[in-house]
Amino acid sequence: MNANFIRLVGAAAWLVTAAAAPALAQTTLIVPHNSEPRTLSPDVAADPAGYEPGSNIYCHLIVVDWGVAVGESFYGDLAKSWEKSADGKTVTFRLQENAKWHDGVPVTSEDVKFTYETILAKQYPYAAYLSNIESMTTPDAHTLIVQLKEVDASFLPSKAQAAAWTGKIYPKHIWAEQDGFDKGPAVNNPVGCGPYKFKEWVRGSHIELVRNDDYFLEPPAIERLIFKFMTDGNVARAEFDAGTYPYLPYTFAPSWGEMPMLQANPDIEVVLQESHYSRDIQLNMRRKPLDELKVRQAISYAVDRESMSKLAFNGLWEPAYHAINDAQTTWKNAAARYPDYDKAKAEQLLDKAGLARGADGFRFKLSITGPSFPDCRNMMEVLVQQLREVGIDARLDNYDYSTWNEKITKGEYDISCYFVRYGPDPDSYREHFASDGARNYTGYSNPELDKIGAEARRTEDMAARKQMYDLMQEMVVADVPYINLMNVRQPALVRKGWSGFAPQPSSFNKSVTWFGFYSVKPPQ
Amino acid sequence: MRLQQYILLRLFYLIPVVLAVIIINFVLIHLAPGDVAVTLAGDDANPEYIAHIRALYGLDRPFLEQLWTYLGRVAQGDLGISFRSREPVLTEIMNRVPATLLLVGASLSFAVLIGTACGALIARRPGGKLDTVVSVLAIALYSVPVFWVGLMLVLLFGVKLRWLPVSGMYDLMGPRDGWGGMLNVARHMVLPVLALSTVWIGQYLLLARTSVIQALSEPYITTARAIGFPERTILLHHALRNAMLPLVTVLGLQMGLVLTGAVLTETVFSWPGLGRMIYEAILTRDTPVIMGAYVVMSFTVALASLITDIAYAAIDPRVEL
Repeated sequence: MNANFIRLVGAAAWLVTAAAAPALAQTTLIVPHNSEPRTLSPDVAADPAGYEPGSNIYCHLIVVDWGVAVGESFYGDLAKSWEKSADGKTVTFRLQENAKWHDGVPVTSEDVKFTYETILAKQYPYAAYLSNIESMTTPDAHTLIVQLKEVDASFLPSKAQAAAWTGKIYPKHIWAEQDGFDKGPAVNNPVGCGPYKFKEWVRGSHIELVRNDDYFLEPPAIERLIFKFMTDGNVARAEFDAGTYPYLPYTFAPSWGEMPMLQANPDIEVVLQESHYSRDIQLNMRRKPLDELKVRQAISYAVDRESMSKLAFNGLWEPAYHAINDAQTTWKNAAARYPDYDKAKAEQLLDKAGLARGADGFRFKLSITGPSFPDCRNMMEVLVQQLREVGIDARLDNYDYSTWNEKITKGEYDISCYFVRYGPDPDSYREHFASDGARNYTGYSNPELDKIGAEARRTEDMAARKQMYDLMQEMVVADVPYINLMNVRQPALVRKGWSGFAPQPSSFNKSVTWFGFYSVKPPQ
Repeated sequence: MRLQQYILLRLFYLIPVVLAVIIINFVLIHLAPGDVAVTLAGDDANPEYIAHIRALYGLDRPFLEQLWTYLGRVAQGDLGISFRSREPVLTEIMNRVPATLLLVGASLSFAVLIGTACGALIARRPGGKLDTVVSVLAIALYSVPVFWVGLMLVLLFGVKLRWLPVSGMYDLMGPRDGWGGMLNVARHMVLPVLALSTVWIGQYLLLARTSVIQALSEPYITTARAIGFPERTILLHHALRNAMLPLVTVLGLQMGLVLTGAVLTETVFSWPGLGRMIYEAILTRDTPVIMGAYVVMSFTVALASLITDIAYAAIDPRVEL
């Protein structure tokens, strides 16, 4: 190798390495994103990978953000204000007057009506939250009057929550000629009225949004918002450590073992975000021997949540003993409580149920499964051991998400990790525990609970409602169709100085959905 | 004329091969558990909407009918529509081909050049110190999983030294066109190419070493030495040329996998290529994309083996087609 060649290689290496990236302009935010959206038309189907881009491009009528986990209510996005009639059956929304679509056309109440009518006609997922609508009228460009079929206290909060997933408002002047929201040029070239405008989507690489300077509120602090598709969590983490990203969402969360070290790092804020979901186990009451109350009770004595928290979450997830997430203080019935860990009691109950230990030390077999979430996997591994302690021959069956989903919807499981949702309106109890609940996977049926649940939904008086949900929590704890185990606290990492990311309390009532970046502020 | 006939015949053989691949894939994918329609409709969908989706994508038809429709479409060059994005599968694949070709092409060229050169070099004194050290190193490189090499490179050059970018194909803040854009891509290529070629270098090195050693023991080398050719000419011109055949075979096999051989590397470095697209399609049950990718793969494998055979004839006059 001669000297010239070496010099040439050296020069090339310098060019490649020394032309370092320009210093990050503070008004550009790159967010690592773990998978690519299907399309940028979010109303057609629930597409978790599209929630973030969609929620920043489009507007919603009313929304919730992570404030709901600590008891905050929903708030207006496109709707400036709203009022309910005395009989609770008419809701009048007043829209932001200066709202414009990204192409400059003003947003009117006709757009909202058109969007909801299309969703209902096509039976898109959000139709479930609009089905109580009898009719919609638009007396002027900024007023929408919604007539309900029946009084429903959960109508506004549930609608506000689901808006973040599949309830975006679409521009009538662009979509009117299309049949549905899944065809035509605007599917992947979206026109919304949100705080960010769509700029480009490079497949496999990123989606870039730019600030909407004509936004009806003060424009956001971030000028360019880029979602970069990252497939490897380790690399995303390495880049966060190297300072490329100021924010690492929970999808790339570090392991729990690492958390104390990160919490001690003065440059990083570890956000443990409260939630209105829990991690629990669903007990398939259609299967033997889980159809027996004593067996289900025994299992609730056999789980040691404290040691599960230590083993699975390094002690950073709080055990949950009530039929609700403990952050949901408004609706919590402190009296309805699952028992503390008591191995002897569990064994005693199983003996009483006639399921004595066999020659091999086991009473019966059970299969434990769950969705492919890392937290569920960790918890279920511990659960298997704890059940084996009391003589239940439990084994873990892991599946990919869609297989698991099919099994649990068809009731082909014994015990499964699950994520019951308690808000933003407690009407979600019916979803999980009413006999005809859409997510009642346990086969649980309690006519009394069905009756109270239906009545609670029609009740506007807070105190009266609270009593009913207290009762429902008592029934669920007594009948044990499910056992609540942990309060969910998803971890996210934020570089010190940045504020307003959805999991941070500084974003509550401001971020516009839990996928919104509207309230993000760079360090001053 | 004979060559043309041969190529036509071989191209004709492609049809049953690809047909068999399609049918096997179709059956395997449809044996997998999990309801695609439920996955597509999303978490909050009601049964009515799921039924609508099932009908929309033809998932409610009998299995044989689905297979027959698919075969008919493929025959016309239509690989179907992606379940996820609703874009034509062929467009999706073609969008990703350039990034993969760039990555794999660069890595393969680098690996073949370095590996063959080093292999030939150490073959001159088999059993010597250099040979022992390099061979052991090559075996080590060949045995290391590529994603591990990738992660180590990320840690060293991306996090500790911060010399090189570790994800994506270009800097989103930097230029994308002209010389600046090329430099931007070049910087992003360094680590993935290094990771991918590391593993291949070991392979080509060992292969080149073995076949050059063998060639050097042939009588014609002794003759060449007796004539008095310089050792350099003997090694490069006489021995290496004859040692090329096994190298071309392996290269040919790898050319067939050129489009998909980089799944792990692309995943580690978030490279927007075909391998990563297939990986994501598998995770999201995007059946048309998975099958489309397999069709394209089986075509490239078959084509590459054809090209390899033709290359044989060009390199070795003893081989007749």
